[in-house]
Amino acid sequence: MKITLMVWRQKCCKEQGKIEKFVVDNVEEDMSFLEMFDILNERLILEGKDPIAFDHDCREGICGACSMTINGVPHGHEHGTTTCQLHMRKFKDGDTIYVEPFRNKAFPVIKDLVVDRTAYERIMQAGGFVSVATGNAKDANNLPISKENADLAMDAAACIGCGACASSCPNGSAMLFVSAKVGQFALLPQGQPERKRRVLAMIKQMEKDGFGGCTNMYECEAACPKNVSVRFIAKMNRDYLRASLFTKSK
Amino acid sequence: MGLLSYLKSTILSKWVMAITGCILVLFICGHAVGNLQILLGSDTYNTYAAFLQGLGEILWIIRIGLFVCLVLHLITSIRLKLLNNSARPTAYQYKSFLKAKLTSRTMIWTGIMIFAFLTYHLLHFTAGVTNPVEYDQHEVVINGKSGIAQEIPNDPRILAQLPPTLQTTTVDGKLYAVQEEVKTAETRHDVYKMVVLGFRNPITSLVYIIGVILLGFHLSHAIQSMFQTAGFNHPKYTPWIIQGSNALAVIVVLCLISIPITILTGLVGGTI
Amino acid sequence: MNLDAKIPEGPLADKWDNHLFNMKLINPANRRKYKIIVVGTGLAGGAAAATLAEQGYNVEAFTYNDSPRRAHSIAAQGGINAAKNYPNDGDSIRRLFYDTIKGGDFRAREANVYRLAQVSNNIIDQCVAQGVPFARDYGGLLANRSFGGAQVSRTFYARGQTGQQLLLGAYSALVRQIGLGTVTMHTRKEMADIVLIDGQCRGIITRDLLTGEVESHVADAVILATGGYGNVFFLSTNAQACNVTAAYRAYKKGAGFANPCFTQIHPTCIPVSGDHQSKLTLMSESLRNDGRIWVPKNKGDKRKPADIPEEERDYYLERKYPSFGNLSPRDISSRAAKEACDDGRGVASTGYGVYLDFADAIKRLGRDKIEERYGNLFEMYERITDDDPYTTPMMIYPASHYTMGGLWVDYNLMSNIPGLHVGGEANFSDHGANRLGASALMQGLSDGYFVLPSTVPHYLATNGPFEKVTKDHPEFKKAEAEVRDKVSRLMSIKGKHTPTYFHRELGKIMWEYCGMARNEAGLKKALELIPQVREEFWKDVTVTGDAQNLNTVLEKAMRVADFLEFAEVLVHDALERDESCGSHFRTEHQYPDGEAMRNDKDFAHVGVWEFQGVGKKPLRHKEELQYENVKFAVRSYK
Repeated sequence: MKITLMVWRQKCCKEQGKIEKFVVDNVEEDMSFLEMFDILNERLILEGKDPIAFDHDCREGICGACSMTINGVPHGHEHGTTTCQLHMRKFKDGDTIYVEPFRNKAFPVIKDLVVDRTAYERIMQAGGFVSVATGNAKDANNLPISKENADLAMDAAACIGCGACASSCPNGSAMLFVSAKVGQFALLPQGQPERKRRVLAMIKQMEKDGFGGCTNMYECEAACPKNVSVRFIAKMNRDYLRASLFTKSK
Repeated sequence: MGLLSYLKSTILSKWVMAITGCILVLFICGHAVGNLQILLGSDTYNTYAAFLQGLGEILWIIRIGLFVCLVLHLITSIRLKLLNNSARPTAYQYKSFLKAKLTSRTMIWTGIMIFAFLTYHLLHFTAGVTNPVEYDQHEVVINGKSGIAQEIPNDPRILAQLPPTLQTTTVDGKLYAVQEEVKTAETRHDVYKMVVLGFRNPITSLVYIIGVILLGFHLSHAIQSMFQTAGFNHPKYTPWIIQGSNALAVIVVLCLISIPITILTGLVGGTI
Repeated sequence: MNLDAKIPEGPLADKWDNHLFNMKLINPANRRKYKIIVVGTGLAGGAAAATLAEQGYNVEAFTYNDSPRRAHSIAAQGGINAAKNYPNDGDSIRRLFYDTIKGGDFRAREANVYRLAQVSNNIIDQCVAQGVPFARDYGGLLANRSFGGAQVSRTFYARGQTGQQLLLGAYSALVRQIGLGTVTMHTRKEMADIVLIDGQCRGIITRDLLTGEVESHVADAVILATGGYGNVFFLSTNAQACNVTAAYRAYKKGAGFANPCFTQIHPTCIPVSGDHQSKLTLMSESLRNDGRIWVPKNKGDKRKPADIPEEERDYYLERKYPSFGNLSPRDISSRAAKEACDDGRGVASTGYGVYLDFADAIKRLGRDKIEERYGNLFEMYERITDDDPYTTPMMIYPASHYTMGGLWVDYNLMSNIPGLHVGGEANFSDHGANRLGASALMQGLSDGYFVLPSTVPHYLATNGPFEKVTKDHPEFKKAEAEVRDKVSRLMSIKGKHTPTYFHRELGKIMWEYCGMARNEAGLKKALELIPQVREEFWKDVTVTGDAQNLNTVLEKAMRVADFLEFAEVLVHDALERDESCGSHFRTEHQYPDGEAMRNDKDFAHVGVWEFQGVGKKPLRHKEELQYENVKFAVRSYK
């Protein structure tokens, strides 16, 4: 297969970027999208050029490192698939593919396709946990949890923190990410003591970092490689209102 | 700031959007059903209009309530839009959408256009500013019935020729002939005629049809979005809510555009 | 080299409790005066950093990823073992201990493994308290499943993403501490060296991957939780950036490297499809519960699997191991697949693959049942290979997966360098010569939540207060200069090959001569070839870009450079360990039926290597293993 790549190149966050065209000739159907980039990069290195920088690590769709927007959709158009698990057989010989970094004010570009996602870290630090120090736990089966709730919590917990939601959202909103974490804990008895504090703190941090607000377009759900449902956003809206109304403001 | 401090929080802003939106949707539904009575004829329609006018202070409370909702809806949406725009400073060179529909992506624009349309609508039919002549229509109601009085010139010769069964009565300085004994006599705003004359103008009708279709686009996303914001999303019911939202939007649009269309085609008010 | 394991006195079951009591403590008010560096934020590192910070220590944590949540612990699928005995099927701490020792083919330390089994239960409690959504029964209690190498159901799981959920649990504890300011988190910084002052490990040197800056970090104790070295084979189930650098740098500074030849090959991975391949994807071992493994009986049979009649198929695992059949342990299944392929009967375009066939199971149980059990795995397989496993057999092949070997540590998880502690896959301690499924997560969290947070303070209390050291200390300056020198050397070669090219070359040698089956001649050949590749690397590698910016080529080159030196240690160990045990299979030592033949008389010890210089044969030391509670037995799965 011959693929034309239109790739965003940007030396560093301060410089202007632009689209650069590359033609890759020997693409095989069994290659993953990132392996195509590997081949291109090997070629660029041998030509003495700077290879295209992109984040990646596990290459099995779980670490959440990869962050390419492919033809206008984070991780590409394939449903429920990360970039590293996207295979070239989903494209046709002669295709032109646009590859850009995840875009959001809170995710500044570091270089080429690499973005800085520490904004998600700050949101997690604000409240994405159950405050239980090691050694404080009672026997695990002392806390029965209905299978339905455990399964639903797992649906939310499947989030890999890649940032596709905030980057696909026309508003740049991180609501799906935040609601996945808030929703997981809200469904479990362990999360109840900090439920109100958590949702207020995480949303506050989200807004502080410059993410936009949700207007229910559901693009996040469609782009999410782990199919996290916007149902959790709905739940969080309720939680947040309750917490805002019934918590003493500081 | 005080009262407006909710604007700082995107989620509380969304709640304001949903609650005010919900009230406005209820109003629009009522408005559509109420005005559909124009199909039932002048008397029913004008009676309905008179009933609303007769509410007095209550009408003003409703009007002020709706106005506050509208203003909050508008301010909040603009503030959210500005915030959301700033969250995405760099656009994708190539953007495609998987799930975000045209309706959901253009809420702010349909909303602003609807607001402009609404302003025109209020000036047109409520305040009578744009078309004062067509606005100024009145009819005489005798014994609670309209259409039974006929205006006659206050000319003694003609009066003399009137059959004895006819009664005459003077309302607002004009003389009317009536077939029955006059117990009460008054004039009221002939909203029916005003609307019919208003929509006889094809350009006005076109503006209304466009405005209402925009409203339909807005509502099709707005109604189901309201449920999502209010925290109601369940795999069992959400598909129905989405369908219901679209259906309600279509119904509202059909109700409202049926008025100019029936008037333009002469089905309604053809005798005026 | 001092290899005193410092195993506490007393009966096996009481050792850890006694030790906990005997270890020294530090007053809560004094704890924040001690600084602890944790390198790596996977299960072991993340849990240790969080727990030590909870106790009040001043912790600095490092990861080369952009977030601690991306550590490769996240990729573990199957589950985590614990001796809870919730299913009431006869499990106990002692049985988990015994199964682990036996699974490790009697090459692990009794006391460490017993402690692992003891704390396994606390791990489950801790994770549940953190909100880890483990699978549950309809009654709301925790569900278990069975895994290889055990006759009880003791594996806790969260769908096929147990590693992810456990890591996110540890990560949540860690971010809480970062938010509280007790942990300083350094992301996108790769450890480049450790620094010793007066024989104690007093800090590390890192390279900032975004700015290229080489920095010193001073501490009173250092914990390495930097994972395994499976990527020495180039293709493995490890993440792309997994590397040996941290462990190898410590080794070069004097830490002993124990049992590097114990590398586990996982039998059920998706086969290589071409030269472009960058990694191998694991398919959960659980598939072997219902899949039947076979190859054609005739060499070079290129027919479609459906066209090969039953009598021309060789269900080799069922034939060779009638009682365990398709569920034979990892090392045995892997070697059998290799044999079949080496015999020319392999499938897949490369000839390196075997069928894993669900046709019988689908006939017996129905497609729905299979979909319920393995739906997500089948989907993943189809996504990668474009084959539908419901209608055509899967193809699988073994791949490098986990490394049991690692830096030598004593019972306190401290290496032979005072102050340098090692946790998780980076140490060698608990799995012997072969790791059982669902035990890696258990060990990582045991080290991180329970062992290191007790033993590191003991070290601090025993050896502190420490002499005040700053970044300007000559040892730090020297180590920084060495790192800068290495960077500029790599940048200045400007040769004709990329770092990946050399990595691939190394991988080929390692897989060919030091992979699933090893022999003296092959290992000696590898010892000839590796230095050649290394020499060529230093003459002919090219690194583009500059060192002051994000430079992925330079990162790769730094890692490959260390792999090229480390590989030799691994091969030396494989050569010296002149027996077959667990994952280490020397073709010279097998029973007539092809089973591994252990040599307990000469090799019931840990082989620990001491660095002598690049290209020079390292020195081998022994830590004899004492078995007081279990008896040597031949592993048999017939």
